[in-house]
Amino acid sequence: MVMLENRDTWYTYFKDNWLAHYEATGETNFKIYQHPKNEHAPSGKGVTLSQSKLILITSAGGYLKNSQTPFDAPNPLGDYSLRTFPTSTPFSEIDFAHDHYDHAAVNTDPQVLLPLRHLEALVTEGIIGALHDMVISYSGYLPIATRTVDELYPEVLKLVNESGAQAALLVPS
Amino acid sequence: MNGIATTTTSWNAGVSRLVNPPRLVITKLARGATLGKPHDSDQQRRVLLATLNRLNDDAPLDHLILDEALDPQ
Repeated sequence: MVMLENRDTWYTYFKDNWLAHYEATGETNFKIYQHPKNEHAPSGKGVTLSQSKLILITSAGGYLKNSQTPFDAPNPLGDYSLRTFPTSTPFSEIDFAHDHYDHAAVNTDPQVLLPLRHLEALVTEGIIGALHDMVISYSGYLPIATRTVDELYPEVLKLVNESGAQAALLVPS
Repeated sequence: MNGIATTTTSWNAGVSRLVNPPRLVITKLARGATLGKPHDSDQQRRVLLATLNRLNDDAPLDHLILDEALDPQ
């Protein structure tokens, strides 16, 4: 599976436009940013969800506020690290480090982005077979797509493969 | 992801379509409230279930568009 098609073409345009502007001025300009484009969607077998283990992946920037370092949300070049925390974590212990969305909704009700209690209920109801006990979390402001592919997603894939999950749900911010 | 069925939902149809994920549910919700209005559990569950149910089908799938928004349409 190729996560970033035409990688070299994308990076050349990115380097010569968005990155060059940032390096020259210290400002970001998303009018000259080209989002990655894939012609091909990956193929794969479906699963019987009621008999499968699901893992949750979130790009809302959630982290354990009392024990983990926040994501570097103000960094104009993004933060390509990840955190993990138990799906059973009370919302009172989670904060969100991501400067590129309005936190009003998630501060009122974290389940708008982090559906932990909903997913637990769906397991109880038999709709999901099981929920992996750890959430994979990152901050979704990731302008350098090649770093996402080279740094972040290998770590995500490693954790997903180690989890024994048959299915993954990504909830972006 | 190798051998793992994946699904996602997004309010940002334009960018999401470009990436071309195997299973995608598109809504009219908003940045920072991907699954629905705060404390609207019914809406959040509808979006979540529509997204999760796609896992039962082989990918790639045509993108599913839901008429879910923060304000009544």
